[in-house]
Amino acid sequence: MEKEERIWFGVLIAVFLVFNVITLSPLVPWQQWLLWSNPTPTQRIAVEFSNYQIKLPANPVRVKAGEFVEFTATSADVTYGLGAFRPDGAMAFQMQVIPGYENKLVWKFDTPGLYDVRSTEYSGPRHSEMLVKKAIQVIP
Amino acid sequence: MTKIGWQEKWTLRFAVVALVWLAINGFEGILMRTQLSAPGALHGVEAALNLFRPVGREPSSAEVFYSMLTAHPICGVYGFAYMAVMGAFYYLVPTLLKKEIRHKRLVPLNFWLQTVSVFVAWGAGFFLLFDALYTLYWPLPVAYDRVPLVGSIVFAVGAAGIMVNILLFSFNIFSTVLSKSNPGSYTTGQFLRAAFGIAALRRWLGRKPDDDPQPDFGSLPVFIVSVARGSVDTVINAVVLLTAGGLILVYGLAALFNAPLNPLAVNALVYKNWFWWGLDMVADGNVLIYAAGVWYLLVPLLVGRKLYGEAVVRTVILADLLVSLGVWSHHLLADRPQPLVMRLLSGQLITWGEFFTMGLTIFVSLYTIWLARPVKLTPPLKFVLGSIFGFLMGGAAGLIQANVGLNLVLHNTQWVISTHAHTMLLSGLGTLIFAVIYALIPMMTGLEVRSRRLVDVHLWTWLVGSTAMAWAMGLAGIQGMLRRTLYPLPNQYELHNVVALAGGIVLAVGFLAFLVNIVGTLGWGNVLGLVVPERPPRASGAAA
Repeated sequence: MEKEERIWFGVLIAVFLVFNVITLSPLVPWQQWLLWSNPTPTQRIAVEFSNYQIKLPANPVRVKAGEFVEFTATSADVTYGLGAFRPDGAMAFQMQVIPGYENKLVWKFDTPGLYDVRSTEYSGPRHSEMLVKKAIQVIP
Repeated sequence: MTKIGWQEKWTLRFAVVALVWLAINGFEGILMRTQLSAPGALHGVEAALNLFRPVGREPSSAEVFYSMLTAHPICGVYGFAYMAVMGAFYYLVPTLLKKEIRHKRLVPLNFWLQTVSVFVAWGAGFFLLFDALYTLYWPLPVAYDRVPLVGSIVFAVGAAGIMVNILLFSFNIFSTVLSKSNPGSYTTGQFLRAAFGIAALRRWLGRKPDDDPQPDFGSLPVFIVSVARGSVDTVINAVVLLTAGGLILVYGLAALFNAPLNPLAVNALVYKNWFWWGLDMVADGNVLIYAAGVWYLLVPLLVGRKLYGEAVVRTVILADLLVSLGVWSHHLLADRPQPLVMRLLSGQLITWGEFFTMGLTIFVSLYTIWLARPVKLTPPLKFVLGSIFGFLMGGAAGLIQANVGLNLVLHNTQWVISTHAHTMLLSGLGTLIFAVIYALIPMMTGLEVRSRRLVDVHLWTWLVGSTAMAWAMGLAGIQGMLRRTLYPLPNQYELHNVVALAGGIVLAVGFLAFLVNIVGTLGWGNVLGLVVPERPPRASGAAA
């Protein structure tokens, strides 16, 4: 390896380390509980997917901001996605819903408000209809 | 009219069909962008296209949209990119090795089988409304309450034809690379050991080399090393997708004969791992290795200087191959049942291996150009630089999403498909394929590209259009817009969609400038001469 290549390789290693250390650290807020701790959820919410329908235990589901909630999503037919969207439309979190598995994700909502739930994975031509508006109410 | 040789003609035929598929691909893209920007505006077009759809009913706009979305990558990847690569390799490999294609009769067979098979798979979506998308997540392709049964079977047949053809093509390329390089022939095992660097590793460890002749990658041109190692990925991709296509076909035929099989008998997560492992041999395998090989070939050729750091480059290509075998989990970062160690290692950290290999590749290419100053910015060199820009942008976007943390808010958003995938395919790979066409036409025909002004129009409209499209939709993705999702009006992404549509139209203008220039360069006589069939020339010692 020639000198210039060694220098460049060093730059690449530095970028690799900086990016991965930052994004694996709690500087990305949810990494705190998804990677570095194993919090006990105060609430468990089962979400069932079947025949283009999203079935939540209540409408809206009420959760408290700052508390850990475990979402367990199951599918009776094809692959779907469970996505929660903030009041401004930005995605809060999502996961795939694979049939034959209990798909689990622990989440902590930081901002009160009404969140929409959408299927984030294509499941057939009626996929875009899979929207439950104001499905989760995050209370202070 | 210039006399164009047999092999050159076939390369041009592959290129012409590739460009036809790109035009179809662009047309579909514009239609889908229009549908996203103004739902309902295409009712007239839908009604006209439905006249050609033998499905016996009026499909919904969503069905038409998603079936087009299924057909779109088939013609983009296997119609445009693969046809272009096949044509280019069939010219470059024998030319660089100074020998002939090993099995000449396979060249037209590859051409026709690819053309027909892509048409069948694409037509399953476009005409028969097969709408399971290219990801084919199990069990959607066999969920016949959502996807049409006949369309599913036809798609699987077309996909199988494509994969078989790719295997035949790879066989011919391997045969050509390996034929008569040394006394005697190589076995597949010897070739694979060399491709994975086992022979070099044995030497490095001080072990005695085998008595059998070994392919010497050290003496082959770097481009050929890339072709050989990238083609290992190509073969794995074809075999894996062939099994997926076969599975869909079995389910389809069983349902057709009223003996339906249980879709949940196949584990959806295992299937997804298998499928993405294979599919990623294209997305994160041969595309990167072939692109690197083309840069290694074109840059020294265009600037008239030996490639800088060639010894390292050969190792980088091997590293690229090894990395490509282990990165597929970045497509499963949102799958919580996928073990965390897989998501973290394969999904994120090994994926960063591509940052090193492509980072070094791009550095070597740019540094070679730098050392060769002053350089003349010829059409292919401009497009080489444009393609590097595209791969840098698309690659950076890919690394951001291939992250166990950030993927939580990026997976399946427009960011993934636009800022990453379309930038890689249009700004990166597409621009590079144009660079190859601009470089090969003078080499193959002795004709210089006619209008430099049109080359510049092509370059800037292509790059500006693809970048505008990618970033408009990428920003929509950051704001929560999902891919593969139709949003009724009004919605918060209307401006993004309009800008993306405008970007697509600018892109199309660039493509038209390219076509006008290429036809003007070749002349109508040569272009029309491509449809005249002829027999392959007999060459001494070459097996036909």
